[in-house]
Amino acid sequence: MYRTAAKRFLGVGFTTSRLLRLPKPRPNPTIITPYSHASALCTSSIGHTESPIGNQSVNPNQSDPTAASSSTAREEGPRRDESSRKKPRAEFEEEQARVLAASLRHVPRLGWTEEAMIAGSREVGVSPSIVGSFSRKEAALVEYFMDECLQLLIDRVDSGLDLQNLIPSERVSKLVRIRLEMQIPYMSKWPQALSIQAHPVNVPTSFKQRAMLVDEIWHTVGDGASDLDWYVKRTVLGGVYSTTEIYMLTDDSPEYRDTWAFLDDRVKDAFDLKKSIQEAKYFAQDIGAGVGKSFQGLMNGVMQTMSRRGGSSAF
Amino acid sequence: MALRLLSRRTLGSRLLRNRSSLASLHSHATSFGFQQVKEEEKSKLVGNVFTNVASSYDVMNDVMSAGLHRLWKERLVGKLSPFAGMKHLDVAGGTGDVAFRIFDAVNSVKRRELRKVDEASLEETQIYVCDINPNMLNVGKQRAADRGLRDNKSLVWVEGDAEALSFDDNSMDGYTIAFGIRNVTHIEKALAEAYRYKYSHQLDFSLSECCILSQCLITLRVLKRGGRFLCLELSHVDIPVFKDLYDLYSFQVIPNLGELIAGDRDSYQYLVESVRRFPPQERFATMIADAGFEKVEYENLVGGVVAIHSAIKL
Repeated sequence: MYRTAAKRFLGVGFTTSRLLRLPKPRPNPTIITPYSHASALCTSSIGHTESPIGNQSVNPNQSDPTAASSSTAREEGPRRDESSRKKPRAEFEEEQARVLAASLRHVPRLGWTEEAMIAGSREVGVSPSIVGSFSRKEAALVEYFMDECLQLLIDRVDSGLDLQNLIPSERVSKLVRIRLEMQIPYMSKWPQALSIQAHPVNVPTSFKQRAMLVDEIWHTVGDGASDLDWYVKRTVLGGVYSTTEIYMLTDDSPEYRDTWAFLDDRVKDAFDLKKSIQEAKYFAQDIGAGVGKSFQGLMNGVMQTMSRRGGSSAF
Repeated sequence: MALRLLSRRTLGSRLLRNRSSLASLHSHATSFGFQQVKEEEKSKLVGNVFTNVASSYDVMNDVMSAGLHRLWKERLVGKLSPFAGMKHLDVAGGTGDVAFRIFDAVNSVKRRELRKVDEASLEETQIYVCDINPNMLNVGKQRAADRGLRDNKSLVWVEGDAEALSFDDNSMDGYTIAFGIRNVTHIEKALAEAYRYKYSHQLDFSLSECCILSQCLITLRVLKRGGRFLCLELSHVDIPVFKDLYDLYSFQVIPNLGELIAGDRDSYQYLVESVRRFPPQERFATMIADAGFEKVEYENLVGGVVAIHSAIKL
């Protein structure tokens, strides 16, 4: 469901803007074809980003979103002179992505703050005023990083990660480990990122990003369930991931050995938990069946008695 | 008889006399409130309005908006997110409301982040306050002196026309205009540029809208790449009942207040009428986008009484 890179960047945006007017559709060479594994073409390194264009998600109708008290207008290129006009929307999103990517380099020193973003924008050669235009500034940086990490994970998986010889619990462990290792360069400032993500304004987006991550991991492990199990699995893995992440913050062991041991234990518990839940379900069903049978027997007995009584006596 | 002649010396009668001499293309009428006057006279009239208005500007602002204008300006500066080392231009900001807020924001940020090593913050912050009316600037300078900022190099008071800015291209990080873009007239050169732009891009703007377009183009020139343009302006209300109340308030109460407090009914009549003539939020946003800005957004405050338009130059 959350599989594709394009969809990810559509759902999680650092712009809250909604299109009021769409430029006339024209072939845009920077659009990445969605819904295909060709999305893996878009980068495998954090530094450079090709901005996936979020054109498709936006409401195609041209009327005002009147409910909103703030809205966006896009540049209407001249209708007759399209080829010479630059692609404004693409360029702006690219510019934002470039600024955020450059800002990440300053995070270990300056933290997930406006200062890091200002330094990043200076590096790219753009006035730091652009930082003011990001909605929820620091959160935009953190969310960008989360998206980048997810993209990297997908790329690693697509480029042939060997999972065949592992049992499911080990596969989950490996994927979570790969993902958490991406945070190691920022570990000193990661608590700040977590607190930013926990801020009520930012919770919806950070929750969605984590949900996508967890879904991605289960999908890779090979899970196809679509019933109630789906939610249970994601929730459990979400819990495992979060606890490991927090454990990692205070881990001093060389190469985070303790964290990976902790992770393996938690994943094993989770799989055992799954089995125990299954067993509990069957047990409940059995009891239910037993109770049901005896209740039915009771009712039958009552009915028979009443009909006998009713037949033989006159009330 | 004399009294009647005197009363006929309105702006309207001036137009009647001059109508026959309106031959050249360049002297077409522009609007001054709901009255049609020649262009050259408009800047004089605007000048008059604000010379009259300057001394009681702050008081009238407070009374008309019930103090809300302070919140609106806070919101504007909040959106701007000023940073240390910023070069900012506040146009039509004579008494310095917005400029002082930016100054405070920058300095408090700087104080907090003194520990951070940032070479670029060694650059001085520069906040230029530009206004066509020297009286407004004087009020602003006085307020600066009251705060002990008379000799502060960060605040620079510049007298000049918003349409003939003497600043270098690509030199400003931010540009704000609070309650001023309604009043821009146009000088030949700026308007000619707007016309050229309009025709080369086949845009569909009326003549009066070209004034605003020319202002946007000038702003675009002065801003750096990534610089932001923010415009706080009285705008159009669409909410049914509220709209009528607002109209009532505007046309009945404000001119009377103007007479009572500032002794100048006409200026405030002009003010209220010019608000109605200004393009609505969507239209203005389109104009800004067509001028060449990116990420054009607007936010309505108080249901549309005031709107903050923001855009980025890329």
